[in-house]
Amino acid sequence: MLRLPVIKLTAGLQNGRIPVARLHITSSKLQQELVEVFIDDKPVQVPPGTTVLQAAAKVGVEIPRFCYHERLAVAGNCRMCLVEIEKQIKPVAACAMPVMKGWRVKTNSDLTRKAREGVMEFLLVNHPLDCPICDQGGECDLQDQSMAFGSDRSRFVDINYTGKRAVEDKDIGPLIKTIMTRCIHCTRCIRFASEVAGIDDLGTTGRGNDMQVGTYVEKMFLSELSGNIIDLCPVGALTSKPYAFVARPWETRRTDSIDVLDAVGSNIVISHRTNEVLRILPREINEEWLSDKARFSCDGLKRQRLITPMIKINGKLEAVEWEDALVATARAIQDIAPNKCAAIAGKLVDAEALVALKDLVNRLGGEVLATEQSFPKEGAGIDIRSNYVLNNTIAAVEEADVVLLIGTNPRYEAPLVNTRLRKGYIHGEQTIGLIGPNVDLTYDYEVSIKPDNTLHLGQSADIVTQLRNGTHSFSNTLKSAKKPLIILGVDQLTRKDGAKILSETQLLAQALGENTKAPEEWKVLNILHTRASQVAALDVGYSSTVEEVKEQQPKVLFLLGADDANIKREDFPNTCIIYIGSHGDEGASIADVILPGAAYTEKVATYVNTEGRSQQTCAAITPPGMARPDWKIIRALSEICGVRLPYDDLAEVRSRLEEIAPHLVRYGVVESANYFAQALELSKQVPGCLSSNPLEVKQETLDQFFMTDAISRASQTMAKCVQAVIKQRESNL
Amino acid sequence: MATPVTSGLKQVKPILSLTHIEAHRKVITLYKTWYRQIPFIIYFNFVKKANYIIPVTKEECQQKLREEFYRHANVRDLRVIDMLLVKGQMELQEVCAQWKPAATLLRYWKETEEPKPKDFMSKFLSGHE
Repeated sequence: MLRLPVIKLTAGLQNGRIPVARLHITSSKLQQELVEVFIDDKPVQVPPGTTVLQAAAKVGVEIPRFCYHERLAVAGNCRMCLVEIEKQIKPVAACAMPVMKGWRVKTNSDLTRKAREGVMEFLLVNHPLDCPICDQGGECDLQDQSMAFGSDRSRFVDINYTGKRAVEDKDIGPLIKTIMTRCIHCTRCIRFASEVAGIDDLGTTGRGNDMQVGTYVEKMFLSELSGNIIDLCPVGALTSKPYAFVARPWETRRTDSIDVLDAVGSNIVISHRTNEVLRILPREINEEWLSDKARFSCDGLKRQRLITPMIKINGKLEAVEWEDALVATARAIQDIAPNKCAAIAGKLVDAEALVALKDLVNRLGGEVLATEQSFPKEGAGIDIRSNYVLNNTIAAVEEADVVLLIGTNPRYEAPLVNTRLRKGYIHGEQTIGLIGPNVDLTYDYEVSIKPDNTLHLGQSADIVTQLRNGTHSFSNTLKSAKKPLIILGVDQLTRKDGAKILSETQLLAQALGENTKAPEEWKVLNILHTRASQVAALDVGYSSTVEEVKEQQPKVLFLLGADDANIKREDFPNTCIIYIGSHGDEGASIADVILPGAAYTEKVATYVNTEGRSQQTCAAITPPGMARPDWKIIRALSEICGVRLPYDDLAEVRSRLEEIAPHLVRYGVVESANYFAQALELSKQVPGCLSSNPLEVKQETLDQFFMTDAISRASQTMAKCVQAVIKQRESNL
Repeated sequence: MATPVTSGLKQVKPILSLTHIEAHRKVITLYKTWYRQIPFIIYFNFVKKANYIIPVTKEECQQKLREEFYRHANVRDLRVIDMLLVKGQMELQEVCAQWKPAATLLRYWKETEEPKPKDFMSKFLSGHE
């Protein structure tokens, strides 16, 4: 695999490297060799190697562009960014030209304007005039720039209509609609696919007027990040298939929110109209990327929804009013013996609901609060926070020089963490090792010299011990690392020997941490979560496991959005199961009472992501039917049961959150974990030994990525994706 | 040269009344006018062939009139009192001339209006935020 993009090599300059990667250059070096240039006679000091376009951006002059994108390599083929430079004969492409000392750039001279008009005219010669039926209309770079920089008159002479250039549309899967006639060959999608997504499927064929962007043979664009090429496309050549002909950008409202379908907590914008979520776009934070599940599963918010409370009457669930449902629930709860009440929290639950339910269960005398995904109790368990968060933060992942992944497939568990790893691999010479099954991570990971000749370090958990002892071939690489990083998949901790794996990993992390000269704030040990609710649940003290709930056989069991707990009705023959959640899924099907809750687009709620950053979703729309925000349901239920919880509005719940864990309401801030040494000491007492079972990950291939929770399981788009991936796999192209 | 801005007490233009005593007198006058008009509002008027047929008694109307006046008992600002006087006068004219339909007049009693839920439980059950 080519680790550096071709452009970067051929340009021979630092401009192939995206600006963020430049953080590695020390600032003192920058200060020494600043170059002064003049943009429209405004002086600006920039480091050498800066392009004209970046220098102009620094003084607030925006140069029009199509092919240039700050997160991708420079291509320089659209020529829209041509600018005049004094004492140069020809205009130069600002995106690819590094500045020289004393250059005077004219971004608004006659020559520049004429160059832009010419480029614009050539682009429009072969671009269809179908803006009225184009989905990009209103957010199209070509539209905007032809208005701003194009010529004001046409040279249209084709009155006999001999036709414009036309290109056949490609079928690249159920998410992306292609209208290739509109393509202006900026190659952003190609560069994204090869650099960020790591799927070298897109490319160009033909040249000149016959050039086409496509996949050579008809195949699906098999990436978990494919939706991003829709955002990248400056024209309407690549648009969203589920969103086709749905709305115009000026008629939708936008609400900033947080994605909860994985534990990364990507920042999103919910685009909605008339109480309906139309599409989800990324915000500028996660490097502008967003995984396909987060982007396209929003149609699952409209299907399989619970819209009215339900009670099981004669073995059949019947829709009832809120009063009846609450009274029926209260009747089941009344006179309950202490410790006969339990709760299981699901994947998508917010911190407010977790806290309210914990308070309710505690008031009813129950102590068993479980998460679907168990966390080992031996050692420090959940008492010390560094045990269960991604301590080093997601953004810092790309700075590591050696990364060891243990039992995780970040590509599907946290696609945006994987893009960081891939970025580190491509731009930062990162070495990556994986203990676990041989999965495609879109980059090469450590080639082991194991006798079985596999590409990965191996699959068994005792390799962690071997790495620490130095008996494994990879341990030298790991020990010589300046900034080592260990990412442990949280699924491994649900194994029988989970505590031991954590303890061994902690020992390894400590050994590496002592060894290296990494700065104080560099944390070696990191846990990668897969569930949006998990960190908050562990923070507020949901420490039990589903097995313990089964053993306890409670009289009343609350399922708070618990659809993946793998529990059966037969497990709880004499239990009243109360399901609180948004979708009719596994949990609702075994419930005696269903109380309809709100999905993440319908409530203002707190979530803590895998790095321990608390963030809040904002309500874009109102819950459907009689559904209510989850914590309010619990609060209302508590009043009917006679154990009134002391909060009536969101501010009061949040002050309760603050009482339990102050970081839950410090939005946007990573609460860094500590007490590594103490956690390590406690973990040394963990009994038992590592089992010889190989480490497995739940999501190995792309089809297992799309449907992982109640919302994405209800989504038609996601179902189509799964089918398309399976079909593609069978087609052997 | 810009002159520095000086601030101080500003004399505002009065609307109707110059003093509180004058305003008070006008309020009493308006009240009396309304009070005397009540029988003509609710009973059949042979001369003008106009009245409201509404299911309220004279006493209820008088009670409501007192309520409406006492609703603004705490207003001290002369200009606000004057504005209310003007509005009261306009309202009286609307009622006398029957520009206001009977149903709109009955909204003074708000009989069909459901009070908005205030406590958590009723807000929850009614679906109000």
